[in-house]
Amino acid sequence: MTVSVMGPLARLTKGENRRIVVGAALLVALFALASVLVEGFASANNIKSILLLASFLGLAALGQTMVALVGGLDLSIPFVIGASNILLALLFGTALPPVLAILLIAAFGAGIGFLNGTLSYRIQGQALILTLGVGFTVVGAAQMVTTLSSQYSGSVFSQVPAWFSNLASISGKTFGFGFPPVVLIWAAIACTVIFWINRTRSGRHVYAVGGNRTAAARLSISERRVWIKTYTLSGLMSAVTGMLLLGFSGGGFVGVGDPYLFTTVAAVVVGGTSLLGGAGGYGATIIGVLILQVLTSFLVGMGLNYAAQQTVFGLLILPMVALYARLPHVRDQI
Amino acid sequence: MFTSVPASLRHLIVPAALVAVLLAVAILRAPLTFSPVGLAGAVLVAAPLILAAMALTPIAMAGRGGVDLSVGPAIGFVNVTIVVWLPALGISSPFGVFAYAIIMGILWQGFLAALIIWLRIAPIIAALAGYMILQGVNLVILPRPGGIAPEWLASWSFGNDLFGPVLWILLGACVFWGFFTRTVLFDHLRLLGADERTAYTVGIDIVTARLAAHVMAGVFIGLAAVCLTGMIGSGDPTQGNTLTLQAVTALVLGGTSLAGGRGGITGSILGAVAMWLVFVVLSSFNFGAVSGFMTQMVFGLILTASLLLSVFTGRARVRTA
Amino acid sequence: MSSVAVEIVDIHKSFGKTRALRGASLLARAGEIHAIVGENGSGKSTLAKIASGIILPDAGTVSVFGATPRTPVAAIAAGVATIYQEMMLAEELSVWENLFAGSDSTWRRRRSNTQKRAETHEVLSRLAACPIDPDARVADLTLSVKQWVVIARALVQKPRVLIFDESSAALDLEATSRLHEEMRALRDGGTAVLIVTHRIAELVKIADVATVLRDGETVGRLERAEITEGNILRLMSAASGHSARGRSAAATAVGAEVLSARGLQTRASAPTVEFGLRAGQIVGLAGLEGAGQVEFIAALAGIAAPVGGHVEAPSGQVDGLRAAEAAGIVYVSGDRKREGIFPNLSILENFGMAIYPRSGRLFGLLNGAATSAAFAREVDRLAIKSGQPGDRITTLSGGNQQKVLIARAFALSPKVILLNDPTRGVDIGTKQALWRQLRAFADAGGAVVYLSTEIEEFFNFVDRACVFFDGSIFAEVAATDLSEDRLLAAMFGQSAAPTFGDAALSPKPAQMEGAA
Repeated sequence: MTVSVMGPLARLTKGENRRIVVGAALLVALFALASVLVEGFASANNIKSILLLASFLGLAALGQTMVALVGGLDLSIPFVIGASNILLALLFGTALPPVLAILLIAAFGAGIGFLNGTLSYRIQGQALILTLGVGFTVVGAAQMVTTLSSQYSGSVFSQVPAWFSNLASISGKTFGFGFPPVVLIWAAIACTVIFWINRTRSGRHVYAVGGNRTAAARLSISERRVWIKTYTLSGLMSAVTGMLLLGFSGGGFVGVGDPYLFTTVAAVVVGGTSLLGGAGGYGATIIGVLILQVLTSFLVGMGLNYAAQQTVFGLLILPMVALYARLPHVRDQI
Repeated sequence: MFTSVPASLRHLIVPAALVAVLLAVAILRAPLTFSPVGLAGAVLVAAPLILAAMALTPIAMAGRGGVDLSVGPAIGFVNVTIVVWLPALGISSPFGVFAYAIIMGILWQGFLAALIIWLRIAPIIAALAGYMILQGVNLVILPRPGGIAPEWLASWSFGNDLFGPVLWILLGACVFWGFFTRTVLFDHLRLLGADERTAYTVGIDIVTARLAAHVMAGVFIGLAAVCLTGMIGSGDPTQGNTLTLQAVTALVLGGTSLAGGRGGITGSILGAVAMWLVFVVLSSFNFGAVSGFMTQMVFGLILTASLLLSVFTGRARVRTA
Repeated sequence: MSSVAVEIVDIHKSFGKTRALRGASLLARAGEIHAIVGENGSGKSTLAKIASGIILPDAGTVSVFGATPRTPVAAIAAGVATIYQEMMLAEELSVWENLFAGSDSTWRRRRSNTQKRAETHEVLSRLAACPIDPDARVADLTLSVKQWVVIARALVQKPRVLIFDESSAALDLEATSRLHEEMRALRDGGTAVLIVTHRIAELVKIADVATVLRDGETVGRLERAEITEGNILRLMSAASGHSARGRSAAATAVGAEVLSARGLQTRASAPTVEFGLRAGQIVGLAGLEGAGQVEFIAALAGIAAPVGGHVEAPSGQVDGLRAAEAAGIVYVSGDRKREGIFPNLSILENFGMAIYPRSGRLFGLLNGAATSAAFAREVDRLAIKSGQPGDRITTLSGGNQQKVLIARAFALSPKVILLNDPTRGVDIGTKQALWRQLRAFADAGGAVVYLSTEIEEFFNFVDRACVFFDGSIFAEVAATDLSEDRLLAAMFGQSAAPTFGDAALSPKPAQMEGAA
């Protein structure tokens, strides 16, 4: 038997890639439909805005994707985003060098993720309730810290460095080009993560554990380590998102992370990653993120408000989950 | 000392002890809360939480890691529609409002049950999606707090009588649950939650048992919504959302196993009472500007600690190797 | 002639690529004890589950007193009570709740709780021969009492068909004979009792009729006097009838000791095992199910710590996977679904996952070229038939999946290969190729421990066979002394003198389909 190389077209229609191709097709179709129905949809400004908002969701959903690949979910994401947002604003107001402040908050996020992973490993079935509890604790504590350190409770206004604002605002410029750097940052992080998970041993271990934990254990792959790694990454990404959102809005606001509780799950599910673990990946989530963002922009253009959008997303999750996360019938477990 | 406690009540030790300690502290720090008038107000405020925790109990008992995260927005949905839809339909009598609330709660739970039973979507995912849908729907129906509840209902918020309607509703709910626990359906539900494969192979109608759990939850959601409407006197599209976290904490605190089978309503009620007492105790300290955040943080800590405690006392189904 | 209780005709059932049943048939009448017997993987459990309404067949007919059970509820309505291989118990609930689980209809109680408690106490105390508290939590009971609870649950249903799926595993000898009494009582009362088992000694004492399965089809039906150990074993293992001989004296030079076990106990109160393996040797592990050989090989592999004693290699004690790895020990399991393959990954990746640590570059980067090259080598060596290496591994047949797992073992250049029933569901051509490869591996200085449930594998292949019985090695038979009778006798705990000498003279069963 010879090990032959597949042609590129044949490769595109195989297994995992098929989901991405279908997703991309859906995205294109949606975009086309929106361009027809909503005036100015295909304008450069609108596309820029879609990409900008997609960057935030994309970064937040990165952690959710990793966690889902091992069969868990992270509900602390919105809280870590909010906490990072206000804590960074607080630190910017101190004498600490901005770069150091950013690194500190990133470490904070990773630390919360590490805590989530370590605590939830043994109770995997209810891990997401635990992340909810941790998240709530963190956001309450963060608000106390910022309030006690400032006059304003819940929202913090302080000196956000200009270069930082430029990163994530709609008018930001990247090396003179007319789109905000955060899109590039997202692209860079995305490429790094996709490379890591596809071309390194530790990345493949995530899929191994998500696919068959016992078989992974037989190969000395530590399920515990993989579990904690994914949650730590999720915490780190949440912190990064929260910090970038500070640049976007200019002022700290703890509720800035709230939309990301369910939209990250929605993006993962719509992209085709199974919530049972082992199947899917960040490439699929990127498609899911873009679909959701285009859809949001479309719904806004059609006159639906935030609340209505939430409803539509919730309804969208159901058929996707019915495709990608169904439990086996009890008779097949005997 | 604890070995003399029968095994079936052992899960109540932690919540009962917690309530006892908190009660002592609360009486010391805020004695006025426990005057007849204070208690009347307390019952009014605590009722939606207690009923929400009661609603979560049968679903958790049914197994598959079912935590109904949508319970908060569901209560909010019924509350908002009582204030917005019912006047338009000309329904304002007590019977009409109660019937509507209960039926609506059952319909919503029926929808979730269908997803879980026939599409075999994991209960927690179905609940997540449900939370999202209703959160949006509530705001669409009533963008800002407002509207006016029927007069007889709005008057509850002024009530000074401890033995007012809310207390009767709570007692009624307990009695209703008590009757339910005597039925065969309840036995089947417990077996289903304890081990679904066993329930299936011995020929139990697992579909009906799971549906029964959701129907009970729906009833309590309806009652909780009526109490909430009575408490605030109007409609509030986001008030219900915070209920979810508090009710889940009350459930975990109360000793009901999130994996199914074990636990009961007493635990959930004790857990809800404990949560309310925590709120009373925290309010009695003057934390000033950070009081709201302190409450938030404490609730989060309690939830995390209860979950971890349930691992170490062997109540959670833990992964081994 | 009493009425037909269970009639199964020409059943086919596949799970994905695995064909569990290919044309199995069964006829059981009321008032008889009917044994369904076969080796691991013969399909007997699947057959029982089809009669219980758990599994739906792909083709063929099933009828229980005329009705076709498509769900457990329907089977129970037809009068079937099943005791499954895995104990169906709600650990957190009480004994009486478990015993009477399912006894009430959804809308009507058939017994009050007081009645249930009383009956539980009465029935269980009689069966278990000791008083049992009906309110005790099932999780606190011993394994054998739990088994009685499940049996009692079926008995109180007063069934017309009672199916036991390997249900005496947890019972000791005395308890088993009490169970047999209950079975006889039921049979005399007109119930059809179906026993799915591999315990031949036991069923010979009690069965009236026996249906023998092999590789998913019915290979024989024995009645009354025809039911002897010899006849059953011959049908089960496709033994040729004449005594096959082991291979002639090994030509391989045997080297230093590479693995040993000292004072090893596979379970509590089992006799200790002393075992040594030298380079160039191929040792076979044989034994009836549950005799301890699986625990033994798991201890050798560092997967599960033995109850007592330890495993040693030149590099040190083997007390875990890391130590096993350091000692150059590789484990290949035949239970692919549970501990072998990653169903979500490709063929190449299932192969590569094990060799990434040694084929990779700095910082954990994968070396695709090295992995593909290693894969190509092994594919040629083992003649793996597959599509593209990038295809999902679930597209391969069971046998080819196994080859991939064995290929990755070879790619690790081990000193010792441990194989746990690797040829389950694999065709004879593949098996022979594998034996050739393992022989070549041993000749080159490696060592092999090969656990198998098929007797024929021990001839022309192993240097010696360790036969397990009752938790430890009962006999070690060198290849030159190997004979079928000798092996089978040892599996039953009987020493050299063969007890099947009469087997050649006993009447051959009337129908024998496809026997060798």
